[in-house]
Amino acid sequence: MRNTFRGITFLIAIAVLSACSTGSNKGASDVSSSPESQNVVTVFAASSLTKSFTEIGKQFEVENPGTKIVFSFGASSTLAEQINSGAPADVFASASRKSMDSVSAEIPASKVFATNRVVVAFPVAKPLAAVIDLNNPAIKWVQCDHQVPCGSVADAALKADGVTGTPVSLEPDVKSVTGKLTTLEVDAAIIYATDVKSSGADFSFLEFSNLEKATTKYPIGVTLSASSKAQAFVDFALSDVGQKVLRDAGFGSPS
Amino acid sequence: MLMAKKSQVSPALAAVGFAGLLVVLLPVIALLSRVPWSNLAAQLTSESSINAIRVSIISSVLAALIAVVLGVPLAWYLARGPEVITKWLRPIVISPLVMPPTVAGLALLTLMGRNGLLGNFIYEQTGWAMPFTMAAVVLAGAFVGMPFLVLVVEAVFRQIPIELEEAAQTLGANPSRVFWRISFPLARGGVISGLVLAWARALGEFGATLTFAGSLPGVTRTLPMEVYVAMEVDPASAYSISAMLILIAVIVVFLLRSNLIQAFNGK
Repeated sequence: MRNTFRGITFLIAIAVLSACSTGSNKGASDVSSSPESQNVVTVFAASSLTKSFTEIGKQFEVENPGTKIVFSFGASSTLAEQINSGAPADVFASASRKSMDSVSAEIPASKVFATNRVVVAFPVAKPLAAVIDLNNPAIKWVQCDHQVPCGSVADAALKADGVTGTPVSLEPDVKSVTGKLTTLEVDAAIIYATDVKSSGADFSFLEFSNLEKATTKYPIGVTLSASSKAQAFVDFALSDVGQKVLRDAGFGSPS
Repeated sequence: MLMAKKSQVSPALAAVGFAGLLVVLLPVIALLSRVPWSNLAAQLTSESSINAIRVSIISSVLAALIAVVLGVPLAWYLARGPEVITKWLRPIVISPLVMPPTVAGLALLTLMGRNGLLGNFIYEQTGWAMPFTMAAVVLAGAFVGMPFLVLVVEAVFRQIPIELEEAAQTLGANPSRVFWRISFPLARGGVISGLVLAWARALGEFGATLTFAGSLPGVTRTLPMEVYVAMEVDPASAYSISAMLILIAVIVVFLLRSNLIQAFNGK
């Protein structure tokens, strides 16, 4: 009897080993898939839109009773891959033109609804004097991996400012990068202005000198198989109400 | 010795069991079908792949060694120590098993980070902090791998008839001698299984490593992280590395098969 008990514990352990060893469930939250239902809009949105889009979603639900917005936040490149693999998204709000272009088969038309810019964020308790200080090997800083949207725009901005130093980590998405800053493990992080704002008063930032290189345009589009309220959600995000929420979060206007 | 006749399995149960097999087998087959077999060697010898392989192998082996050096004595204590203590100690030791990897990473960070309970002291004294170093990858691997080793090894220790150890003691052996001369040699198979399991678990770790150590190519970017980054941009590379990791998993399970049965039935 004892052996059986131990055996079962062992089996559970093996099960957990298999479940855990690939860890991470980034980029996928519970997406309700009921394509027949008119009243669920599934929105795939870049991580940086988490707070603002959740708020916009709430306001949309208030103005459109009976409609539910379901979000899946993640790195734009990951979400684009999921859409191309058939994920049931109705709306895609991307942090990069490149990711939106990669889903052109599913989303033929898109519109820029906001802009964001990367900045050099740092803890107020230990301020960074200038962007060029990132070349100092004593300064620990992080950015997104080069292949992810927030990483490629960071690369462009850093290059324009003459930063040749290397970060201590190349994170898979901007949330991980922000996490390294908020846990005070690093002295600086290349994240969006919106991320600094949502991290609270303990963090501030420096602007890059080349704002154009540091700015990224966020396109939004509706999928071919989208439910009926999807376009209404996009219009809402583009409306004064939606734009105000985005502006308050630190996003720039689309024009 | 009487050989018991194996009872027949009802077709219904076999069918359900087969469905269970498919749940595990089909995704793996699907993945393997996407692997660029003709190009495999080139994929696995690319700079990013080699970096990831090096980081993964070094860190997982070191993690497994730490797990075995610290875990075997711990398993011995759990097997033979006073029940009043071990019944509380055991769940604590096993807890990383059921902890979400990101939580494990955060726990490690709050201990050993620059501002961590212990890490802050070390940082103030030496200017060195563990995050973003390979040491962090090793610690994360040991943290998630050791519970497996302890689980297996304790089970194996418990199966050693206590009479053997008692007999040795009556003949004059002290506890240390009993352990090294009797218990440990008898548990060798279990220790090896535990070592391999801990190693495999450390190799596959993603969430804790990402949170605690970061993901810098050549320093802290392990094979699972490399797969994650390569997934969108270079799928061929992602599939190739995945094929290699699957092969490792199959070999591990194959090597452990008799030891697993042994752990269940006690020879």
